[in-house]
Amino acid sequence: MAWIAENRRDPQVKTSDTPYLTDALKAVLRDRYFPRYPTKRAVLLPALHLIQHTYDWIPTQALQEVAEFLEIAPAEALDTATFYEEYWLKPKGKYLIGVCRSLACELCQSAKLTDTVRRKLGIEVGQTTTDGRFTLIEMECLGSCGSAPVALTNEVLQENLTPEKLEKLIDSLPADPHDFKDPGITWPEDDKH
Amino acid sequence: MELPELHQIAEKERASQKPIRLRICVAAGCQSSGSLAVKKKLEDTVKEAGLSDKVQVVGVGCLKMCSQGPLVQADPTQTLYAKVDETQAAGLVGAVNGGHCHCATVDPNDPFLAHQFSIVLENSGLIDPERIESYIAAEGYEGLYHVLREKTPTEIVETVIKSGLRGRGGAGYPTGLKWALVAKMQSPRKFVVCNADEGDPGAFMDRSVLESDPHRILEGMAIAGYAIGATQGYIYVRGEYPLAIKRLQGAIRQAKRLGMLGGHIFESPFDFNIDLRIGAGAFVCGEETALMASIEGRRGQPRPRPPFPAESGLWGQPTLINNVETFANIPTLIRKGADWFSAIGTEKSKGTKVFALAGKITNTGLIEVPMGTTLRRIVEEMGGGVENGGTVKAVQTGGPSGGCIPADKLDTPVDYESLAAIGSIMGSGGMIVMDQSTNMVDVARFFMEFCMDESCGKCAPCRAGTVQMYRLLSKIREGRGTQQDIDMLNGLCDLLRNTSLCGLGQTAPNPTLSTLRYFRHEYEQLLTDSTVNGQLPKHPANTT
Repeated sequence: MAWIAENRRDPQVKTSDTPYLTDALKAVLRDRYFPRYPTKRAVLLPALHLIQHTYDWIPTQALQEVAEFLEIAPAEALDTATFYEEYWLKPKGKYLIGVCRSLACELCQSAKLTDTVRRKLGIEVGQTTTDGRFTLIEMECLGSCGSAPVALTNEVLQENLTPEKLEKLIDSLPADPHDFKDPGITWPEDDKH
Repeated sequence: MELPELHQIAEKERASQKPIRLRICVAAGCQSSGSLAVKKKLEDTVKEAGLSDKVQVVGVGCLKMCSQGPLVQADPTQTLYAKVDETQAAGLVGAVNGGHCHCATVDPNDPFLAHQFSIVLENSGLIDPERIESYIAAEGYEGLYHVLREKTPTEIVETVIKSGLRGRGGAGYPTGLKWALVAKMQSPRKFVVCNADEGDPGAFMDRSVLESDPHRILEGMAIAGYAIGATQGYIYVRGEYPLAIKRLQGAIRQAKRLGMLGGHIFESPFDFNIDLRIGAGAFVCGEETALMASIEGRRGQPRPRPPFPAESGLWGQPTLINNVETFANIPTLIRKGADWFSAIGTEKSKGTKVFALAGKITNTGLIEVPMGTTLRRIVEEMGGGVENGGTVKAVQTGGPSGGCIPADKLDTPVDYESLAAIGSIMGSGGMIVMDQSTNMVDVARFFMEFCMDESCGKCAPCRAGTVQMYRLLSKIREGRGTQQDIDMLNGLCDLLRNTSLCGLGQTAPNPTLSTLRYFRHEYEQLLTDSTVNGQLPKHPANTT
């Protein structure tokens, strides 16, 4: 519920001397995103995506730095960030396992998948393992109802899942999450838009 | 670029095709059943057999029959092989080269395929979604060329009006009229927005189009931009669709490289750019005013209309917002003409509609059928009915904004008016089939929980109403409800429908209302004070 003011933020506001929004990241925002929109504020969501992509989550200090860079109040940045469920304002695991909990998947026993992860990793939905490797969440419809039940692990979709297949997948995940890619995407990394 | 150059690209692409082509589906469904390994094996087999000059293996988008994957279709025979695994690769390559194999094939007369009529999905499963040349070889961007070089914007708007195309996002507003509204606005800046924030549970048509044929959307948007006088387009796509995002990013980059996007497209004075905007997990952003707020960098909350986006949209400028499937219709409509398009479908609902079949049905997957096709044909003939010989209890259309249609209404044709008349909506095209084991109160509660979770909280009827309705539905489901609770539910349905700010709240009661209308006995059986057939009901409170 986007309107519930639950505390989704890291309670400890840690400050770091080195900025999260580095010059390199600023350059990306300035060169790639500013030309696309008539206002700087419009770049807020892409900026938050960029921070999360770089650090896996959005620390409060990063939020303040983004606000300053986009010339908006920090409260406005926080207001927007807390509205969207995909922004992590406290640290999450290297692997985010999102089991689809929508109707088609539910009819195909998606609850068993969630239970499998819960049991195997010893975490509840919304929690992260103590080693910081895995976070389990439930997601709204992933748009693969024809091959339900499904789960999205980082950016890779797994379909027609069974508890066994999911366990096997968890065991086979590489140490570095950057090595875990969708095999269906064939263009080379440097060829990106 | 001039037309001969475009044709040259198409010719070169066609010439590079080998006489025999094995098109293997690498869209989402087939990939999960191992199509990439099969593709690799097929490629190796072709190489080893020394057939590289003759046989070609191509990865293509969705071949539609997701329940039979991995699917491989052979050209030129058009044979569709089903459930192909790695061990069958050698046999399959032999078969297309004049031999025989024992691979399972799909009968081309299978109703699932035979009743399809493709406009939106015409390239799906035929072209390689990651190569613009492949789209051009399928006459892609030719419509845009002719539009920019030979037609006036007014002619394009008139063509779309004449075609009778209506918005495929669910509400069914005439697309041409919307275009005309934005076109006549005087403003230095206008915007085109493609709503790809597909979030209805059970809907996956847009994802499939984006993943299987991304250039179609770009071409449709560019044509729209020319018609209304915009130079900038945005595609707002869900963050949960990483493959669609990557395919779109690649497609935009390729289109810019070849000059189909950018400045002076096809040597005309028309400039048009498209940028991708990635959502962040808020269903309400599918509502057009919330979507615009999100693009502007704010909370994705809707605002009252009027003013409509056509008058005052992004940054206060006139903005055209259409759904993915609506834009996907445009290139073909323009190429083949309004008369061709309006000959398909019913009097008030023209063209085709793509549906995503899911739930307890034999053939899950995507179907595209002319408007006016009956639900019975879709569910029983094409979908093959309920899996394992069960019987259909209800069909849910339109997701959380739609309703449950009982089995005895299956002869209803699918068009905007007919579905509304029986308490559901066309919606975006999700179709979830339920069998006798499904409890309808559960279904109503599921969708209410969804709306409660996704309510943005701006207006009280939706914020508080969905919570109250969810609690009442839970109470009834758990056997603690009374007749009075049903009356209260009905009252809240009226309240939400009439007083909510946006479509999310206004349509949130639909699943509850339609199940109350057609399956009221399932509610009443669960009440503590019900006297169904003069007997005490079998609810948990009485059994424990």
